[in-house]
Amino acid sequence: MDPHDDLDEYLRGNSALSRQYHREAATVTPHALDRRVLGAARGAQRRSPYLAPLAFAASVLLSVALVLAIAFGPQRIKRADSTPHVVRAAARVVVPAHVREPSVWLADIAALRRAGRSSDADAELLRFRSAYPNYRFTELGTATRVPVDSE
Amino acid sequence: MDALDDDARLMLLYRDGDGHAFAALYARHKDPLYRYLLRQVRNAGAAADLFQEVWSRLVATRGRYEPRAKFATYLFHIAHNCTIDFFRRNKHSTRSNTADVQSPEPEVPEYQRPDGMAEFVEQQSALLAALGELPQEQREAFLLHEETGLTIDDIARVTDVPVETAKSRLRYAIRKLKKSLLPAPLPDARPLRTRTI
Repeated sequence: MDPHDDLDEYLRGNSALSRQYHREAATVTPHALDRRVLGAARGAQRRSPYLAPLAFAASVLLSVALVLAIAFGPQRIKRADSTPHVVRAAARVVVPAHVREPSVWLADIAALRRAGRSSDADAELLRFRSAYPNYRFTELGTATRVPVDSE
Repeated sequence: MDALDDDARLMLLYRDGDGHAFAALYARHKDPLYRYLLRQVRNAGAAADLFQEVWSRLVATRGRYEPRAKFATYLFHIAHNCTIDFFRRNKHSTRSNTADVQSPEPEVPEYQRPDGMAEFVEQQSALLAALGELPQEQREAFLLHEETGLTIDDIARVTDVPVETAKSRLRYAIRKLKKSLLPAPLPDARPLRTRTI
């Protein structure tokens, strides 16, 4: 018999081979397996697939918030705290120019510069210059100076 | 896919969180899947492990399910992959246990066989034995068609082969299996000796 005909006849359904196979096909899934699979599926159902992306998104947000807090929040406070006490005192107390000694004033400016507060130091230096216009420096920006005239 | 089959609809419901949909899908496909795995690996313990693995994979990947083909094609493609992995893992042990592999299925309980039909039981065994002796690919093609009603195109999709290959496997499988249905030839009849006195 031509095998092509065999296949066509078989695919049309209800062949003797299929009938014979299905008469035999009485094997069913053991109940123990049913219980295990359905139990596992129920367990997985409680752990919804949508929870994983949500948990991931939440952890990313938390991480970003933490990084921002570390970068901007506490460091600012720390930086302010780490400023030398003398400098903070100098910044808070605005002493009239005529009562401050040039050497003390210049030492404060130098302390501001060392603390990294260059803009404050520059502003203070401008005030110093306006207060002591005739005061000459050997090197601009340093505390070393040579007074030309005595005041 | 123009119209979703019922199973694909159930799977979509399950994907979206309906646990009852899974129970319905499971009830429809568990026995064909179990028989497919049992007759493929021919070992009840291994079939049970693979059965759980297939459903676990389906559960784990439900979030990515898209109904591109029949649900049975999707399910049995997972089963096919699990079976291939099993054969790869057990390549050496399977060869060494050829005696077990060649034996007819011991998993069919006696009470499930019709009583008082010795000839029928004998014929069943012949078919199962012939099924067990088929090359694994031919056996798979036959089982996929018988257990799920998949077409040759679907069988090709499940087993990742061209349609012509799937067709050829099924053709050879049925040709060999049909031979097992033929009654065994009777021994040559010898004339009775007559003794003349």
